Amino acid sequence: MAAEIISGANISKVYATATGPLVALDDVSFGIEEGEFISLVGPSGCGKSTLLSILGGLEARSLGGLTIAGEKAGKPRSDVGMMFQTSVLFPWRTIRENVRLPGQVLGLDKRQQAARTEELLDMVGLNGFGDRFPGELSGGMRQRVGLARLLAHDPRILMMDEPFGALDEFTRETMNLELLNIWEKTRKTVIFVTHNIGEAVFLSDRVFVMTPRPGRLEGIVEIDLPRPRTTEVMRDPRYSELVFEIRRMLGVDH
Amino acid sequence: MTMTDTAHSIPLSSGRQGDAISRFVEGERRRARREMITNRLLALGFGLFVIAVWAIATHGGFVHALIIPTPLATLEATGRVMSASYFWPNVWVTAQEIFWGFMIGMATGAIFGILVAMFPAVRATLYPYLVALQAPPKIVLAPIFVTWFGFDMESKIAISVVMCFFPMFLNTLTGLSSVDPNAVKLMRSLTASRWQTFRYLLLPNALPIMMAGVKLCWTLAVLGVIVGEFVGASAGIGYLIYAMNFQLDIAGVFCLIILLSLFTLVIYQLIEWLENRVVFWKAL
Repeated sequence: MAAEIISGANISKVYATATGPLVALDDVSFGIEEGEFISLVGPSGCGKSTLLSILGGLEARSLGGLTIAGEKAGKPRSDVGMMFQTSVLFPWRTIRENVRLPGQVLGLDKRQQAARTEELLDMVGLNGFGDRFPGELSGGMRQRVGLARLLAHDPRILMMDEPFGALDEFTRETMNLELLNIWEKTRKTVIFVTHNIGEAVFLSDRVFVMTPRPGRLEGIVEIDLPRPRTTEVMRDPRYSELVFEIRRMLGVDH
Repeated sequence: MTMTDTAHSIPLSSGRQGDAISRFVEGERRRARREMITNRLLALGFGLFVIAVWAIATHGGFVHALIIPTPLATLEATGRVMSASYFWPNVWVTAQEIFWGFMIGMATGAIFGILVAMFPAVRATLYPYLVALQAPPKIVLAPIFVTWFGFDMESKIAISVVMCFFPMFLNTLTGLSSVDPNAVKLMRSLTASRWQTFRYLLLPNALPIMMAGVKLCWTLAVLGVIVGEFVGASAGIGYLIYAMNFQLDIAGVFCLIILLSLFTLVIYQLIEWLENRVVFWKAL
């Protein structure tokens, strides 16, 4: 077994509310290996976004332990890149300048970053759009820029919170293929939050199935579909089996 | 590489019905132009109508010339006032007062807005007082300021500063606070310092609301100076208006009001022009 890059032990998150304590995450433990593609799937309120925020150091855990790359974690780290449901591009910066943001913040070498920015724009199919502004791009193109910016400082771990959730079905599928493509090339560790079971199965090595009230890790499903994957995978009977296994765990089949 | 969702943003040069499309586009353009001209004519027509009503009311003797002068008398007064030796020195005094009031008021408002938005301790300490100070109408300070700072420019500048301060302060604070939470999370995830978050995200993000504050400040700066000159001054446009009113030179008063409005409007347009350049992305 490869070394765990992220391990969580008995993580809980409790919010104090007017009506008493609200348990958003209840005793979650797991290990993630380097280079794995993990999805967190579950209905709203299952704590998947909260868990991601805790892993990314954006929120503090109430109980439990968390280790990332062998260090005790709890703060944002420069070797973790995060992406959100909205592209959060800065409208006053060109596409190129948006991709340059992480490098600027982290004070990385300017010339290297300039070259890398062009490479990344190429990779996400936005060659020639570098001087445009986000307001001139469609939603799908904006998330492509988000993807390029995510990779700009070459983080070891990618944490993505429903990054394609606001896109239409067709664009989402295209983006998923692109993400897999990038992942095949870079083999970074990915933690991908979604409420779309099919998407989770299509992308992941393992799916963390989460249930709400209180947010619990119900189980972990190994996705033994062959790689590299194309949309053909969805014809595979094993794909449907896995989707339905997760549906059963979530109790959505009656 | 797939590019399915990029196609529609590349300018369409020709469809399958090329000629018909360009004719259609040309027609649309003509229609838009006609509509714009109609709107201009409507606005111009209304202006002329108001002047006509004004002329009929005054020349026809429905309103006494001491209450409202005729348009012609106002025009004649404009020539008289603008060529008088006292006119430009007074304009210069008022212009300087407005400039300094506007600049200092805007700067202090923005600085306090930034301090309160960025430092929780400053917010906790000052915010309740700043909000409470906003309650009284600032004009009540005019007589006190004249007592404190005298009949010269300083008292007018002080009133103008106080008038400008609050809109700029509040707009800066609002602008810095109304930011997409995901954008803040992004900066945090990149381990950005507070200064980096301010410089790369919060400040540019606040500019549209801050520019709205600048426009508010401008009209309030003029208001503050004129009020100050009414209360106690020995020079300035407000002083001239007050003096002419006292001498029943109503045509002169009208002319100065119109000139002052034009001045305010021209600078306002200039600020708007600047705004469109500073926050260019709003139009994208």
